[in-house]
Amino acid sequence: MSTVAWAGWVALVMAVALTTTNPSSLAILLSATVLVAIAAPKTERAGLGIRYLALLGIGLFALSIGVAVINTGSGDHTLFTLPRLDAPEQIGGLSVGGAVTAEALVGGAIRGAVIFAVLLGFAVFSGAVSPHAALRLAPAVLFHSGLAVTIGLALLPATLTDIQRLREMQALRGRRGGVRELHALVVPAVMGGLDRAMRFAEAMEARGYAAPPAIPAGTRLAGLAAAPLLVAATWVWFYYPEARWAGAAAAAAGAIAIVFWGWDIARRHKTTRLTVEHEPPALFVAGRVSLALAAGVVVAALAGWAPAGYNPFAGLAVPEFSAAGAAPAFAAAWPLPFLAFSETRPRAEASSSVPSLP
Amino acid sequence: MIATLDRVSYSYPAGMSPALRDVTLTLDEGRFAIVAGPSAGGKSTFLRLFNGLVPQFTGGRLSGRATVHGRDTARTPTRALALDAGMVFQDPEAQSIVEVVEDEIAFALEQRAVPRPDMRARIDGALRSLAIEHLRGRRLATLSGGERQRVAIAAVLAPGPRLLLLDEPTSQLDPEGAALITTAIARLHREQGLTTLVAEHRLDHLLPLADEAIRITGGAVASLPPRRFALEYEGAPAVVRLARRLALDPVPLTVAEARAGHAASLAHARVRPHPPPPTTGDELIRAEGLTLSYGSLPALRGVDLRLREGETLAILGPNGSGKSSLLRAIVGVARPQAGSLRFRGQPPPASTAERSAFAGLVPQEPALALYHPTVAAELATSCRSRPAAPATGEALARWGLTTLAERDPRDLSAGQQQRVAVAAMLAHEPPVWLLDEPTRGADPAIRAWLAERLRAHAAGGGGVILATHDRELAARIATRVLRLDGGRMEFDLPARDAFGSGGPLPTPAAQLVAGAILPEDVLP
Repeated sequence: MSTVAWAGWVALVMAVALTTTNPSSLAILLSATVLVAIAAPKTERAGLGIRYLALLGIGLFALSIGVAVINTGSGDHTLFTLPRLDAPEQIGGLSVGGAVTAEALVGGAIRGAVIFAVLLGFAVFSGAVSPHAALRLAPAVLFHSGLAVTIGLALLPATLTDIQRLREMQALRGRRGGVRELHALVVPAVMGGLDRAMRFAEAMEARGYAAPPAIPAGTRLAGLAAAPLLVAATWVWFYYPEARWAGAAAAAAGAIAIVFWGWDIARRHKTTRLTVEHEPPALFVAGRVSLALAAGVVVAALAGWAPAGYNPFAGLAVPEFSAAGAAPAFAAAWPLPFLAFSETRPRAEASSSVPSLP
Repeated sequence: MIATLDRVSYSYPAGMSPALRDVTLTLDEGRFAIVAGPSAGGKSTFLRLFNGLVPQFTGGRLSGRATVHGRDTARTPTRALALDAGMVFQDPEAQSIVEVVEDEIAFALEQRAVPRPDMRARIDGALRSLAIEHLRGRRLATLSGGERQRVAIAAVLAPGPRLLLLDEPTSQLDPEGAALITTAIARLHREQGLTTLVAEHRLDHLLPLADEAIRITGGAVASLPPRRFALEYEGAPAVVRLARRLALDPVPLTVAEARAGHAASLAHARVRPHPPPPTTGDELIRAEGLTLSYGSLPALRGVDLRLREGETLAILGPNGSGKSSLLRAIVGVARPQAGSLRFRGQPPPASTAERSAFAGLVPQEPALALYHPTVAAELATSCRSRPAAPATGEALARWGLTTLAERDPRDLSAGQQQRVAVAAMLAHEPPVWLLDEPTRGADPAIRAWLAERLRAHAAGGGGVILATHDRELAARIATRVLRLDGGRMEFDLPARDAFGSGGPLPTPAAQLVAGAILPEDVLP
C-alpha cells in the first residue's frame, strides 16, 4: 500500500475513534483495526512496535476502567460499594470510592476502547510507512512539524528495542522486574530516546536536511497576523452580534493571510524527487476516499450531526445500532482486500540484532 | 587553505571547563589528517567546529574564529555549510532516514531541488566513489555495518563537499568492515583530492595515509607530522610500538614498511621467554552442540565451548557470526533449540537472573542500563539483588570507584561511565565473566584498565569469555581463541597458536619477529 493510502486509513481510524461513543461502532472499528494490524506487512521491529503499543493500549484500557471504579458517584445501577474518601471542601471536596456503577464501568470501557483504537492505528501506520515517506507527505509550510513527526516515527521502534534490551540488562543484574522496577526501564529508555533523537537531528542538520527557504518579511508578517485575526474574528462573532460583519471581515483577512503564508513558503521551498511512489488506480482512489471520509466524519461531529451517540449515564440503555454511524467504522477495514492481494515485504531485518525474548 | 581556526576556545552550555582551548590551526586543501586522543578529549567537538554544529546545534560559548572556505562557521547556517563540509558520524544507524540506498543518497539532493538527471549523475558518482554500485537498490536494514557506513559517506559526498569530516567511522565495525571503510576513504582522497579529517582510535590503517596528525588532549590541540606523532602517541599501532622498542629509525607505520626498511634489525630482535601457560582448574562451563535460530535466521550451528578456572577465552568473528548469541545463550537470554549446557557439571538454572549469578554478562553498551542518580546507588542495586554479593562499599573499592561514589553516572567521562557500567553488571563478582565487545570505541586507557581487571579475575581462579573485534586485546589477555563464522566454530586454539606467526590470525608483531605476539614480547 502507498503512503497516502496508509495516511488515509489512519486518518479514518483516528476520526472515527475520536468522534464516536457508540459501543457497536467502536467494536466494529476495533475489529477492523485489529484485522488490518494482522494483515499489514511488517518488519520484526514494526511487529515489536505494534505489540508494545497494543500492550500499552490494553494497559490504558484497564486504567480507564480503574479510574471509573475509583472516581464513582454517578449512575443508578450500583454493582458494589467501595469505602468512600471525601477530601475537605477547602481543597476541592473531591471524593474517591463509594458506589461503583455499571454506567461508570461502561463509560470507562468506551474511553479505553477509543485510546486502544488510536494507539493501534498509529502503531500499524508507523510500522507500515517509512519515516522518509511520511516526511514527504508533509507540506512545505509544515516541514519542521513533519520533521518532528518523522523523528518520532523513526525512533519509536528503536526505543522499543531499547526497552527490550533494558529488560534483559536488569535481569542480568539479578532484578526480577515488575511494576516496582518500572523506572529502571523508563528512565534509561527515555534518556536513550532523547539522546538518539538529538544524534538523529544533528546528523540531519549536518547533511543539510530541512534547509528552509529565505522567507521575506511580508510573508512572515502574514503568518504572524493570521492567528490574532482569527481569534479576534471569533470573539467579535460571538460577543458582538451587531458587528458580525467586522468579525467576518477579520476571519476573511486571517484566512487570506494564512493561505498567502503557506502558498509563499511552498512556492519558495522547492524540492525534487528521484522516484515517485507507484500507486495503482484503485489504491489511489481508496486512499483519497478514506481521507475524505475522515474529514467528513470530523465535520459531521463538529456540526452535531453524529448519529447514534451513546451516553451510558442516560439509563444504561442497549446501544442503538445506526447504519450511518457504523458505516465509517466498517469502512476502516478497506485495506484488507489490498493487503490480501499485495506482495508482502520481508519480515526479517538483518540489522535487528536483538531478537525477541524467549 | 580550506579551513582555519584562529584562537578558538569552546565550552558546552553545562561544561565546567572548556572542551577546546585556544586552538589555532590551518588545514590546506587536499590534506588527509587524523585526529586522535583519549575519549571525551575533544575530538568530536573539534570536528563539529568545521560544519558549525558547534556552537549552532550544541549551544555553549565560542570565542575566536573558525572558517571554512572563508565562511565563518559560527555565523553560516549548518545546513548551508553542509555543501562545504560533509560529516559522517559514528553510528551508521543514527544518520540514515530513508529505507533504500539510492533514496538515502538522493535525499539531500532532493532537499536542494537538484534536477532529476543531475541527481542521477551525482548518485552514480557517489556510489562509484565508494564502490557500492551493487547496493543501489538494497534496503539499508539488510546491509552490514561496513556497507551502511559506506552508504552514509556516499550520502554526504553526493552534494559535493570539499571537506570530509569523519567522526570515528569504524568504531562500530568489525575489522573487515573497518578495512572497507578505510579503503574507501583512502580511495576518495587519492582519486578526488578530497580534504579529509578523520577522528579515530583505530589508527593501524589510517596513520600510513595521513599527511598530518592532530592530537587532542583535554581540549588542547597539537598538529604533528605522522611519524613524530607515532613516536609520541601511547595508542599508536602495534607496528609503531614495536619499532619504538627496537629504536627503528625512521619509524615504520606498516608491516610492509617495517619489513622493507628494517629487515636486519627485525631478524636479530630478541624475544623474551614466554611465561608458562596459566594453571587451569576445574571446569566452569561446558557447552556442546549449541544450536540457535531467530525465526528462520540461524545464529549458532552446533557450537562447542569449554571454560576452566584461570582461562580467558576470546571469541572472534565478523559481525553476525554468532558471538553475541553464544553469550546470550549461556546466560539464558536466548534459548538454544538444541545442545547442552553445564555450569560446573550441573544443568544451569532456568532464569537469567539466577544464571547470571554464576556467569555475569556485560552486554554491548552497558551504560544504557544506568538510571540511578549516583554511582553508589547503581552498585547498591546490583549488590542487593544477590545474597552472596559484597557490600556496596566493598564493591566500589574493588572497582576503583570509591572517589566517584556520589557522582551522577551521566556526568562522568565516557571512560568513567564505561567503568561504572561494567562494575554494575559484575559487582556481584560471579565466577565467570562474559563480556560482549567491551572495548568498542574505547581509548587506550580504558582498554588497559579492562585488560588488567580481566587478567586479575582469571588469575584469581575465575573464568572470562570475551567476544570482541579487538584482536590486540585478545592477544594480550586470552589463553584460548575460538573463532566463529556464520554461527559455526571455525577453530578453537591456544592463543599463542592462533596469534603466532604460523597461526590463522598473526598479530603485526608476530608477522615481524618470530616468536613474538605483542610488541612488549620483544626485548628493547
